[in-house]
Amino acid sequence: MQGTRRALLIGAATIAAPWVHAQIPASFRFALTPVFLDNDASVIAALRNALATGMGQDIELVQRRTYQEISGAVLDGSVDAAWTCGYPYLQHRADLSLLGVPVWRGRPLYQSYLIVAADDPATDLADLRGGAHAFSDPDSNSGFLVTASDLARMGETPERFFSRVIFTFGHRNVVRAVAGGLTRSGSVDGYIWEALNAVEPDLTARTRVIAQSEWLGFPPFVARRDRMGEPGVSACKTALLGLDRTDEGRAALQLLYLDSVKVAEVSLFDGIAARMAVLGGG
Amino acid sequence: MIRLPRFRHLPVTVRVPLVTAALMIVLGLLASQTVLSALGRVQDSRLSETARLHLEGLSVALGPSVLRQDVWEVYDILDRARAASDGQRLLLTIVADERGQVLAATDPRRAPVGESVTGFEAGAVAPDAVRMTGGTVLRVLAPLKYQGREVGRIVTELDVTDLLAERRAVTLWLLLGNALATAVLALGGWLAVARILRPVGTLVRAMDDSKGAPRSIGEADIPRGDPGLARLIDTYNRMTTAVKERGQAERRLSERERFVSLGRLSSSLAHEVNNPLGGLLNAADTIRTYADRPEVVRESAELMQRGLGHLREVTRAILDQNRLDRAGQPLRPEDFEDLRLLFAPEAQSRKQVLDWRIEAGAEALASQPATPVRQVALNLLLNAGAVAGHGGRVGFIVTNGAAGLSIAVSDSGAGLSPADLGRLMASGPLPPGGGVGLRLVHDIVAGLDGKLSHDRVAGQTVIRVDLPVRGGAHA
Repeated sequence: MQGTRRALLIGAATIAAPWVHAQIPASFRFALTPVFLDNDASVIAALRNALATGMGQDIELVQRRTYQEISGAVLDGSVDAAWTCGYPYLQHRADLSLLGVPVWRGRPLYQSYLIVAADDPATDLADLRGGAHAFSDPDSNSGFLVTASDLARMGETPERFFSRVIFTFGHRNVVRAVAGGLTRSGSVDGYIWEALNAVEPDLTARTRVIAQSEWLGFPPFVARRDRMGEPGVSACKTALLGLDRTDEGRAALQLLYLDSVKVAEVSLFDGIAARMAVLGGG
Repeated sequence: MIRLPRFRHLPVTVRVPLVTAALMIVLGLLASQTVLSALGRVQDSRLSETARLHLEGLSVALGPSVLRQDVWEVYDILDRARAASDGQRLLLTIVADERGQVLAATDPRRAPVGESVTGFEAGAVAPDAVRMTGGTVLRVLAPLKYQGREVGRIVTELDVTDLLAERRAVTLWLLLGNALATAVLALGGWLAVARILRPVGTLVRAMDDSKGAPRSIGEADIPRGDPGLARLIDTYNRMTTAVKERGQAERRLSERERFVSLGRLSSSLAHEVNNPLGGLLNAADTIRTYADRPEVVRESAELMQRGLGHLREVTRAILDQNRLDRAGQPLRPEDFEDLRLLFAPEAQSRKQVLDWRIEAGAEALASQPATPVRQVALNLLLNAGAVAGHGGRVGFIVTNGAAGLSIAVSDSGAGLSPADLGRLMASGPLPPGGGVGLRLVHDIVAGLDGKLSHDRVAGQTVIRVDLPVRGGAHA
């Protein structure tokens, strides 16, 4: 029954294709956050497929190295929407609107993990003084802000507290840096670490989580506030919120270890805002 | 300590396989050395190529990151390059900045970021100079250039355990293979040589077992497939036949000589006995007729006593003469007659034409001793008779030259072999094999201060013995 409906939809989409093309001349550009499993081509392909099906048009997934680049691309209009982090979203709260927030393990929340090598005796952040540390991105909440704000509470800055700070621009890279011994410790997205733990258990087994942050707002999907009325953006929002209702969407969500995408308010990110305040005050 | 037999005293059937085995071992060693050295060159160039490609590739990828001192980028590239190269060849790669401080390494625990790279540069060589040194880990050092400027350096540790194992395995297999091949070839050589030399062994046994009387080798044992050996054994067989015939001839001659002596003794005995026998019979007749006349009887008895005394003298003289050693007796024409009596039946049995001429006078003969001259003449005659063959010609001419007696023995044979000529003419050590007759001739003639000469004229072999006149040779 479902298969028949899908076939009808595809058939309708095929017949309507010239008309749709005429209505929306360019493909929809969606920027993908690098915090993600950026090396997994199948995840990216599944997500593109799901969004394209949901929106009934081509999707161009744009990958950038840093959050700063992604924020810039959304703000200057070179991409139509993006999956970014709560921290850059809050930084540009005035210009950005939420399209939706992923639900992971039943809640739109995640944690930041502080990890060390599996054989490292450290038990908390204070033990890591003088070692090298890997951050993901200076605009990442879980990959920078959480640890930086914790240090600020201790009256320290990362540069002073650690012997060396490196930015790997990818949560998976943080895990690699710690597992490989390049740095003693790292700040990593808890969701990514858990996802990696399922996909690459050998990699995460070489690391150990010594501290977990409080639950914070999950990295959201955003678009420029002034473009929220555009049909493409609306279609994107609809497609994202309806991912768990299509086969392609469920397939993508499954690969991403996510349950669904739901509507969220800015208050979801109050925890991050509090940490930003600590850092700003420090 | 066991004293091993000296190599040249070993039998040829042992020596040849030993030499073969030794040559095989030398060949095997040379071949192994060549293979190993070729393998070494191949491995070195493979290693050098691996190191060069690895470092060149990294150099291109790393340039901008090293210039920016981007630790993560450098590590990321190294780590992904390590993961991409499935082989275990690259143990560790370290990238240092231009001050020699480690930027990143594939194993940051061994080479932490910020440490000096100097410790890892010990023993490192340029990629083109990489050679297998026997160690399991080789270090390669190359400068890291970007936009024509040296921005850092790369040190790589190559694991060559597999190459060493490969070399060990090749060495082992070569050793085993060569040992096996050598053993097989040595055994094969042994069997082949033993088979080839079997007729020689048969020949040696035939000569050894005979205790001086060589026995001939049966036709079944002659290797007709090997013409050289077959000819050798045929020659040996002919030689044994000749020796046998000659032995038989010598036996026959000695018997005949005994008969001849006996005959001469009988005839001279008869002659000497017959002379006084008439007188004795007369005396006996007179005694019977005039038995009543004592003076006649006495006279006849005295006559008989004298006659019988003469007979006793005769028998004693004959006994004495025949008991005497003929050595020292002068040569007489009768001696040659004896020789003729002895040799003529031999020549006749071979249907040979005998040219027998004694032109020297009894006086000339008497200047020579009988026994040695008879011996020389008999030996030369027997030799000539043997080589002249069936239906051949044999000549025996004794002449009286100005210098002394000359004996020429000729035959229509194929001529003396170099070995026989050596025996006859030379005084050197006796060549192995063959009879001693000709050497005896040489020695006797030398003892008589004589001269031997050999000539080959019109298909005839002529051996001439010139004996000088000897004074006081009379007994």
